[in-house]
Amino acid sequence: MRRAADPRELLPLTPAVLHILLALADGRRNASEDDHVGRHGYAVAQEVEEMTEGQIRMGPGTLYGSIQRMLTSGLIEEVAKPRSATRGAGGGSDEDERRRYYRLTPLGSRVLELELARLARVVVIARAKHLLHGPEPA
Amino acid sequence: MPRDLGERSFALLLFLYPRAFRDRFGDEMLAFYRARRAEARHREGGRGTFRLWRHLVLDILISAPIERLRSLDSQREPMTTTAEMEVPWSSPFYLDREETMDALRQDLRFALRTLRARPAFTLIAVITLALGIGATTAIFSVVNAVLLRPMPWPHPERLVLVWGTRDQVKQNGVVFLDYIDWQAQSRSFDALAVMRGQSVNLTGGDQPERIIGSFVSANLFPILGATPEQGRFFTDQETVVATKQPVAVISDDCWRTRFGARPDMIGRTLVLNGVAFTVVGITRPDLHAPLGTPDVWMPIGYYPNAGDLELRGRPGVLVVGRLKPGVRVERAQSDLDAISGRLAQLYPATNTGIGANVQPLVDQIVGPVRTPILIVLGGVGIVLLIACANVANLQLARAAARRRELSLRTALGAARTRLVRQLLTESLLLSIIGGALGILIARWGVTVLATQLTSMVPVNGEIALDGSVLLFASAITLGAGLLFGSAPAWQYSRADVRDALSVRSDAGAPAGRRHSLRGVLVAAQLALSVVLLVSAGLLTRSLFALARVEPGFDPSHTMTLQFRLPAAKYKTEAQIAEMFTRTLEQMRGVPGVENAALVRATPLNGNGESYPYVLADKPVANLQAAPTAQLNVVSPGYFATMRIRRLAGRDFTMDDRAGGIPVAIVNEQLAKRSWPNESAIGKRIRLGGADAAWATIVGVVGTVKHFRLSEDPLDQAYVPYMQRPLIFTEAVVRATGDPTALASAVRGAIWRVDRDQPVWRVRTLDRVLDEARGGPKLTVWLMAAFAVLALVLAAIGVYGVMSYAVARRTQEVGIRMALGARRTQVLGMVLRDGMRTIGIALAAGLVIAAAATRLIASQLFGVSTMDPLTFTMVPILLGLVALAACYIPALRASRVDPIVALRSE
Repeated sequence: MRRAADPRELLPLTPAVLHILLALADGRRNASEDDHVGRHGYAVAQEVEEMTEGQIRMGPGTLYGSIQRMLTSGLIEEVAKPRSATRGAGGGSDEDERRRYYRLTPLGSRVLELELARLARVVVIARAKHLLHGPEPA
Repeated sequence: MPRDLGERSFALLLFLYPRAFRDRFGDEMLAFYRARRAEARHREGGRGTFRLWRHLVLDILISAPIERLRSLDSQREPMTTTAEMEVPWSSPFYLDREETMDALRQDLRFALRTLRARPAFTLIAVITLALGIGATTAIFSVVNAVLLRPMPWPHPERLVLVWGTRDQVKQNGVVFLDYIDWQAQSRSFDALAVMRGQSVNLTGGDQPERIIGSFVSANLFPILGATPEQGRFFTDQETVVATKQPVAVISDDCWRTRFGARPDMIGRTLVLNGVAFTVVGITRPDLHAPLGTPDVWMPIGYYPNAGDLELRGRPGVLVVGRLKPGVRVERAQSDLDAISGRLAQLYPATNTGIGANVQPLVDQIVGPVRTPILIVLGGVGIVLLIACANVANLQLARAAARRRELSLRTALGAARTRLVRQLLTESLLLSIIGGALGILIARWGVTVLATQLTSMVPVNGEIALDGSVLLFASAITLGAGLLFGSAPAWQYSRADVRDALSVRSDAGAPAGRRHSLRGVLVAAQLALSVVLLVSAGLLTRSLFALARVEPGFDPSHTMTLQFRLPAAKYKTEAQIAEMFTRTLEQMRGVPGVENAALVRATPLNGNGESYPYVLADKPVANLQAAPTAQLNVVSPGYFATMRIRRLAGRDFTMDDRAGGIPVAIVNEQLAKRSWPNESAIGKRIRLGGADAAWATIVGVVGTVKHFRLSEDPLDQAYVPYMQRPLIFTEAVVRATGDPTALASAVRGAIWRVDRDQPVWRVRTLDRVLDEARGGPKLTVWLMAAFAVLALVLAAIGVYGVMSYAVARRTQEVGIRMALGARRTQVLGMVLRDGMRTIGIALAAGLVIAAAATRLIASQLFGVSTMDPLTFTMVPILLGLVALAACYIPALRASRVDPIVALRSE
């Protein structure tokens, strides 16, 4: 797998990639004690839709196209089936067999952090110029 | 795992992606699709599915070409780390790397040049595509307007229409008192509203007028999510039968057209059916009422049919309901079933066998037109496929001609992927030009269809080229381009570079894969044409069958008109009878009138009632088991005026009056069914409930098609108007000459009896009959037009393939002729070749057609789905056309000069 020498070269991220990273980052935190947990594609799309209150509704092509590129550049990786899915796999449905799960790599987390920091700086600038109204971030 | 149609279509779409991508993500994407579909079904039903597909197709059409380009790029240049970093991420907008754009521009420029260089090819391809895309788009605009666009009410999926049922009859009116009980006891509905449409007489102006009224309960408006444009709607108090108030709400349209949008409308008085109503509100222009928007709404208490609001067992109203959120139709149905059961126990005399039938309102509105529309869409889809196959064939022929050019470019080092991309660009360019022209054709088609089909679009507004339709047109344009473009591209990708280096062109090569692919395409075209021609043939045959149906009366020289006496003015049966008698006298006195009569409902006019009947000499255990007859109330002279055959006994006379012996006339059907071996004359029959009088049969007449031309013969009975007067009636006049010339004189005759009496629907019976026969006409004409188009396109396809095959075999033919073959032998050889393909295609087409015609069975009348005549004539016709298309190139082959042929390359 090819890795970027400097994660900064990957910035700025497209909205789809940014949101997929955000969705996966969330999944990792919730399951911090279990390293094998990732999310499958549809769950990622749903998470993104919920996070953005329906503003971003990814189709399968956009989603898996992005996932492919994120895999290639090492932002995410495939993981073994999470336990919850394997447990029921005695009579497991084909659907679960077919699903693959993804999680962030350290590089992915780093890229996300950098991108968020970059966006935060943009917001600071916007506020300074009085372009952005609304409450200050907590 | 079994797959349904949607899943298979989605799997098919995945083929747009490069193979590596498909292998890696195909299963996941399918799982994704299944999850989305489950979600969409759960949420919104059929319309959700449509939205889901719109989203999926758009997503795939954007992302698949990107993945294709990407995979081409990755093949061309080995990926370096830095190159990979430059590869854009997911959004198509990050794609415009300069290099890609340059290549695209180059491809486009080159494509334009090649298309210009072959104007004949380009013209034929573009016209073919434009016809296919244009026709499909125009038909889709109808599908969109009628079946896909959401209904104009909030949460239309929760709206239901509740019919009354009586034994086997599932779509009866509802008994008003039952409705009151439903409303009080049911738990499934937010609200249940009652409505009853009926024309009302508007008087007080220059001329008495008839406008469309609707008698409703106050909660109808909130159910439809309506708010008033001016004034207010009814209060609950105002529509309670006991405390009804003379208030009215008028429609925006009525306000503008009848009252010139006068600003002081609220508070004005309208005299409707002889009662003065105060206008309290005007609706918004965009309010649509289910089953047609009336001119004026009045409280249900004013519904004039006496007894319909007070008596059990009198189904007179319609009920619209809004389900509570989350309640399904089935639950509402079992809810009302339980109440109906209780009512039947409470009121066994009137409510036994009476129930409710809850139907989604959407189904009730679009149900009848869904099948014809989908049939036509299927037909036009076939035309589009045939058009695509034709263009693919043209492209293949051209690709063959360009083979050397392409091979040479390959040999000189052009990346093969780049050449494939070039070919695809050309195809897409062709399809986009064709699509643009097609949209112009569709614009014209939509204007034609819109005027023809306004009645088919129940409430959803206009048939128009709106955003969804244009999106659809773009999708089929791109889809078509990929479809017919993939054939030559695929073929080329397998071509051999060495071809370019060999001296001989492929003119002398044995018929290879390229030829066979074209053969398959043309066979598919022919098979599809068979399906379309058979369907169109069956529909046409059924139209002719309908035209041959004997209506049972003579429509020539006759005219009908309708009128309704206001109940407030004609209070007793004697008054009504007296008015009718004088009207008859006046009408018969009009010069040019040969005969005139009054009738409750003329045939095929949309009106009419059926009642159970019992026979005095053949009693039945209970009324529920009794057969029903369509009952008409007529004046003396009706049968003579209509020229309905009189078979036995006598006509009614002016002596058959109220207080005299009740009499009836029955039709042949009823007489033969009831008394197969004896005369019906003198027998006694009771029509209607237990309270109806026993009538003596005095005559037998021929059977008339009353509700539909396609109906089986009905039991029919007639009673004299003086013994059962109704306030609603029609007049029939037979003229010695042109009946339309009598219209105003006959109207005047009625106005001499009552100058306030509105008269409407003045029509000749010829026109009534024409309309009854015309219902399915448009479907049939469209299908026939598409079938002809398919035939022409398929013939062009056959011609093209045969010409090409002959050209390839010029040398072989030359050798054969040099060796002594005769012209006829050559002709036969070429024709045999062509006929083999044609024969296989026709056989396959017939098999598919035999399966497909079952889908149109519901639209056929008087012809079987396997009609032998159609199934014989279509292959013969198509075979002849295909043979003719083969014959011209075959003839050319037989005229080959051996010397020239041998020299040719």
